[in-house]
Amino acid sequence: MISSSVKFLLNDKLIVIKNPDPNQTLLNYIRTELKKTGTKEGCSEGGCGACTIVLGELVDNKIEYKAINSCISFVPSLNGKQLIIVEDLVSQNGKLHPVQDAMVKFHGSQCGFCTPGFVMSLFSMFKNNKSLNNELITDSISGNLCRCTGYRPIIDAAKSLNKINKNDQFSKNKNKVIQQLKKIKPKNVYIKKDDKLYFSPKNIKDLKGIIKKHSNFSFLAGGTDLSLKVTKERKEIPFIIDLKEINELDFIKVSKNYLEVGSATPLIKFEKEIKKYYPDFYSVLKRYGSVQIRNVGTIGGNIATASPIGDSLPILLSLNAEVLIESFNKRKVLPLNHFFLDYRKTKLKKNEFIHSIKIPLFKKNIFKAFKISKRFDDDISSVCGSFNFEINNNKIKEVYIAYGGMAAVPKRAKACEKILKNKPLTINTFDQAKNYLEKDLSPIGDMRASKEYRLEIAKNLLMKCFVEINSNKLSRVN
Amino acid sequence: MSKENYIEEIRPHDSAYKHVSGYAEYTDDINEPKNTIYGAIGLSKKAHAIIKNIDLTEVKKSEGVISVVTQRDIPGRNDVGPVFEGDPIFPEKKVEFFGQPLFAVAATTTELARKAVLKAKVTYKDLKPIITIKEALNKKQFLFKPRKVKKGNPSKKIKNSKNNLKGNFTTGSQEHFYLEGQAAFVIPKEDDNFLVYSSTQHPSETQQLIAKMFNQKSNSINVEVRRIGGGFGGKETNFMTACICALLAKKSGQPVKLRLDRDDDIILTGKRHEFLSEYEVGFNDEGIIEGLKINLSSNCGMSPDLSAAINERALLHIDNAYYIPDIEVINNLCKTNIPTSTAFRGFGGNQGMMAIENIIDNISRYLKKDPIEVRKKNFYQKDKRNVTHYGMTIEDNVINEIFKNLENKSNYKKRYSNIKKFNEKNRFKKKGIAITPLKFGISFTTIHLNQAGALVHIYTDGSVHLNHGGIEMGQGTHTKIAQIVANSLGLPYSLVHISSTNTAKVPNTSASAASSTTDLNGAAALNAVAKIKLNLEKFIKKKYKIYNQEAIYKDQYLIFGNRQFEFKSIIQEAYLNRISLSSSGFYSTPKINFDKKKFRGRPFYYFCYGAAVSEVTVDTLTGENILERVDILHDAGKPINPALELGQIEGGFVQGQGWLTIEELKWKSDGQITTFSPSTYKIPAVSDIPKKFNVEIFKEGINKEKVVNKAKTTGEPPLMLAMSVFYAIKDAVASIGNYQFAPELNAPATPERILMSINKIKNKIKN
Repeated sequence: MISSSVKFLLNDKLIVIKNPDPNQTLLNYIRTELKKTGTKEGCSEGGCGACTIVLGELVDNKIEYKAINSCISFVPSLNGKQLIIVEDLVSQNGKLHPVQDAMVKFHGSQCGFCTPGFVMSLFSMFKNNKSLNNELITDSISGNLCRCTGYRPIIDAAKSLNKINKNDQFSKNKNKVIQQLKKIKPKNVYIKKDDKLYFSPKNIKDLKGIIKKHSNFSFLAGGTDLSLKVTKERKEIPFIIDLKEINELDFIKVSKNYLEVGSATPLIKFEKEIKKYYPDFYSVLKRYGSVQIRNVGTIGGNIATASPIGDSLPILLSLNAEVLIESFNKRKVLPLNHFFLDYRKTKLKKNEFIHSIKIPLFKKNIFKAFKISKRFDDDISSVCGSFNFEINNNKIKEVYIAYGGMAAVPKRAKACEKILKNKPLTINTFDQAKNYLEKDLSPIGDMRASKEYRLEIAKNLLMKCFVEINSNKLSRVN
Repeated sequence: MSKENYIEEIRPHDSAYKHVSGYAEYTDDINEPKNTIYGAIGLSKKAHAIIKNIDLTEVKKSEGVISVVTQRDIPGRNDVGPVFEGDPIFPEKKVEFFGQPLFAVAATTTELARKAVLKAKVTYKDLKPIITIKEALNKKQFLFKPRKVKKGNPSKKIKNSKNNLKGNFTTGSQEHFYLEGQAAFVIPKEDDNFLVYSSTQHPSETQQLIAKMFNQKSNSINVEVRRIGGGFGGKETNFMTACICALLAKKSGQPVKLRLDRDDDIILTGKRHEFLSEYEVGFNDEGIIEGLKINLSSNCGMSPDLSAAINERALLHIDNAYYIPDIEVINNLCKTNIPTSTAFRGFGGNQGMMAIENIIDNISRYLKKDPIEVRKKNFYQKDKRNVTHYGMTIEDNVINEIFKNLENKSNYKKRYSNIKKFNEKNRFKKKGIAITPLKFGISFTTIHLNQAGALVHIYTDGSVHLNHGGIEMGQGTHTKIAQIVANSLGLPYSLVHISSTNTAKVPNTSASAASSTTDLNGAAALNAVAKIKLNLEKFIKKKYKIYNQEAIYKDQYLIFGNRQFEFKSIIQEAYLNRISLSSSGFYSTPKINFDKKKFRGRPFYYFCYGAAVSEVTVDTLTGENILERVDILHDAGKPINPALELGQIEGGFVQGQGWLTIEELKWKSDGQITTFSPSTYKIPAVSDIPKKFNVEIFKEGINKEKVVNKAKTTGEPPLMLAMSVFYAIKDAVASIGNYQFAPELNAPATPERILMSINKIKNKIKN
């Protein structure tokens, strides 16, 4: 079954868009076609949160409320979902939703321009969670910038929601919406609008069918990077294949010795699972980007984009991860370490896609990862360092070290590893090894950090590993 | 207002309901007539170059394009400079910064307009750009002749002082990052009139500049602003967007909306002035300053804009809260090829204050004293040491009280010694603490700007409609003015309605700036109310034969002794008796005067005071840091609405924290900015704020002058409370050298700069 229309619920009203422009952003659609102006444009790159909206998605017969940046999502991504915008939170009698009411009571708005975005982020947090602790609150609004309030009143508003009855108008309307969502359950979508193509297959078989026939397409696997081509470069993406609706690519399989993660698995889902095995991986992922970004960004997207500052990449490298690559007729496995060729260039060929990534579980190893950036929340790394040590009898048996932000690609530090291997766990070993990072890495200076700072941090992070391993305590300020 | 009639009433912002529900309307949200078209601006790709040719053939052919404008389409003044010339809307011959507007288009959609402008073919003849203060100083590129301000004989004092120090220090630029970018919407009307909606802090100047650009009279331009999504000074001038939008509307004859993309907004609009201070100071063994010589140079960008006033305010705040007996300041206003630096909360005052705080901090480190002691020793006093370097006697000084109070409240002494102990025990994590004062002068230093108007109508049903010249930009000025007007009329707040600021209702207004919006416009509104009251009372007294009784307005009644009149009915009665129930109001600040040439007088009506204690932990391996705790005590006089003032204090603090820590703007040597989006320019996010944040309004505060409600403004001053964060970081860094060396650290103290500062101390220890 193929449809050329996008069907979604605007709150609980069915809307069918026939043959939409696949390059039109959700924000643009909401403001110019739905004529609802509560959702604001702040930056057009998913960096400020003013455009935050919530998508209700049917997962196991329940609705999950995902906050996303509407400025970097395209209209077809609405297909089969419930779109909730800030105006929808007000009841028909004009009564504010508890989240909105709390923002008023605690003076959470000043100029008010960022406020709808905050309201939507808090709304999704309120709907998805039973209790709201400080960590959850901070995480939920880490992708919303406010220039007026200094955030304290917004945090207080969020905390006050713990005392509020969860049974809001959306709970009351839930069954009806679930029925409606079932009815519009997404099909394969194929859109041909002017000279632009968009294909959103539901399964791998159909995906293979299309990549067999075509070549000049861009995979959309979250689109937090790809969409900027439209919003910032003001160019078109002529042919999009959206991988996000393929359920077979959205999975996490745990076996005894490794974790296998489907390439279209959203980061927010992955981080919850990886936390059990590698807490530092989780900590870095939480700072990978805001909730809005992690709700749509995928592990496969991060790998295929191959940015030197993709935060999951050095970590996966140091964990010796493998990539499962498929084309329409072949399947192969590549060590991630061999996958990156040059700046944003990988071994992935035109008609291949990433199926999944296999992450070994080093149960006896000491694993550490650090992200250094100017700002704690939602910033791009100056340096991301990841360290995986097997230590036996105070001796380093095996070691994998990788860095992001230190070369054109995320990179293993092999010279340094070599020096550390089979050496005693002493400060001298590390002191000696850190200088070999100069051989391994070739950072550049840019607006985020100088070359010198990057190199020094890379060395210091290695020393930090020693300090932490030696003292068996974390030594971090954050 | 009678003396006792203060209010202190917490209520939400008047637009809070609309903010949270999405119904608060900003310029880009205004419903459009059907034939509305959308603009985009074509930007220069060079920072300094002669324009050889601009070929717009492909732009004009681009899909959806309806109208294209260049400098040739401007019939009148091609300049948006508010005080001085120098800001061409579209330059004729020479571009002077990367991103300077060259032309603009209007198309059927914003997206098509933005695509179209990229198709221009511009050829240039390159000139060498000057980007930094140092380059400008070397090449003597100044906007005005360097200026010298002097009191006493500092050279002699420094020479005779027991101790002296020399050094230099910079504070960085800052992007406003108002969440609502620059936006305008212009609708052509009959008779070449234009209705202009603009996201501006200054509707009157917008009106005048559009009129001048069109060679028309101001009475043909009507500017309206309901609210703006943040300003912070970034919309005090920056009239480019509204003027270009109006030009497109005039040429096309259609309504035009123009909203800058965030990148373009950051690329082409001016920012905070970067300042360099080079100083020489003499002081005694207690740290008391005896003489100070300082070169204060600022990066003003390509044109004067407001730089003269901003630098003047820096000179007026080089003392912060300290008495400096002998002082000489030489001020250089550097001309460079970056967008013209402009107003930003603090307006130079904060840069001046950071310069002196750095000196005080370095004196303390030199004398191995706790900086709190040196600060206290240098404070202005009440009866002596109370005259500023510009000859103004400080009559309302409360800094000593606030400091003492906060020192105790925050447990400063104990924490100071605990931190030293912590630092002895910890090798990689170091803590630091600092307390800093602030004294900030309130009034426009350009005296004539200290005026405001208002318009008040009382309708026959007893409801009140109010307009004033101030812009609602989040600070809650409409809420507070409605509160005092309601109070003055004895009416519930709900009966007073403030609508959009409009140049047709209140003319010749000053910008909503200098922290004085509510002081000035609130007083003007009360003046209008007073005039209506006078009419009303005259009528009642005459009709009901009431003599020598003062009227009291309370609970919707007008009371003369034992006679009571229900407000609504008496209004109706007054109307039937043909009594005017409408009035304009006016206010001009008394007492102030300032001779700019002699640099003497009383430029400020009053001062705001406050202090903050910050405690940080620094990771000495990475430079990362965390703001553990902040205690603030701030003087807001008798606040009209303490909740809104608290919002200004906390918000201002965090904005200042951003300025001094993570907000870093960078330009390449060719003048291209590299930090022009939220992915490269980082303003504080939720995790940056203090883990413990104790903010209090100084309870004993009262404005000694006749300001509305005896309140003190909280607009700009709280930004400077964040100085404590910077000096706490510096304190943590100093611990690396066991407090024997003053860290070399410039603002912003980014993790990178902190690590480099640590390294410098480590190297000093080695040597």
